[in-house]
Amino acid sequence: MFEQFAAEARATVASALEETTLRGDRRIGTEHLLLGVLHEPRAVRALGTDLETARAALDTLDRSALAVVGIDVHGIERAPVPASRKRTPFTSGARAVLPRALAETRRAGGRRIQPEHLLLALLDCERPDPAADLLTELGVDRAAVRERIRRTGR
Amino acid sequence: METQELSERLRSHDPAVGLRAVGALHRLAEQVEAAAVARAREQGWSWEQIGDALGVSRQSVHAKYGK
Repeated sequence: MFEQFAAEARATVASALEETTLRGDRRIGTEHLLLGVLHEPRAVRALGTDLETARAALDTLDRSALAVVGIDVHGIERAPVPASRKRTPFTSGARAVLPRALAETRRAGGRRIQPEHLLLALLDCERPDPAADLLTELGVDRAAVRERIRRTGR
Repeated sequence: METQELSERLRSHDPAVGLRAVGALHRLAEQVEAAAVARAREQGWSWEQIGDALGVSRQSVHAKYGK
């Protein structure tokens, strides 16, 4: 699968891995792929939101879920988790994004998967997928983003 | 306040919230550990002492946090 990735999309996956370990997660999920995509300025423009905002939104989702089980994380000392030397696999949801991204590449008449094809595939995620929750939390208008990407497409 | 409490209680029956809370607890544990290990190192704790405190081997703490 990865041989079909353009260099930019490989960088997206590398960034997604970085975001995964920073957060202390053990698998690369769709929410990390979305953060990875946001390392690209073009994706930031298409989504109308940036990396910091998306990281903060994930944190907000975590905080409110913890509040529901009675845990208040306010004032707890936390630090980014160092990169792991262990293999970090994809979640099944993240794996399922890859063929959908390839389909987007083909639809756009491209040969190699670009970050925007990953983004288009992520926009199709539905609840309870974590990227879908994040997009909702961010108030992203998916149809408008699709339209912006396909208009500027490559 | 009462309505908020009620809505929280209703949300707690949503499995998506409960499952996210578990994931968030894992992440929180990792992030608190990273902060605590850094502080312990600053204060001169050995990898062995930190490993014992965390209930893991000296090697695994060092592999994760050693530079």
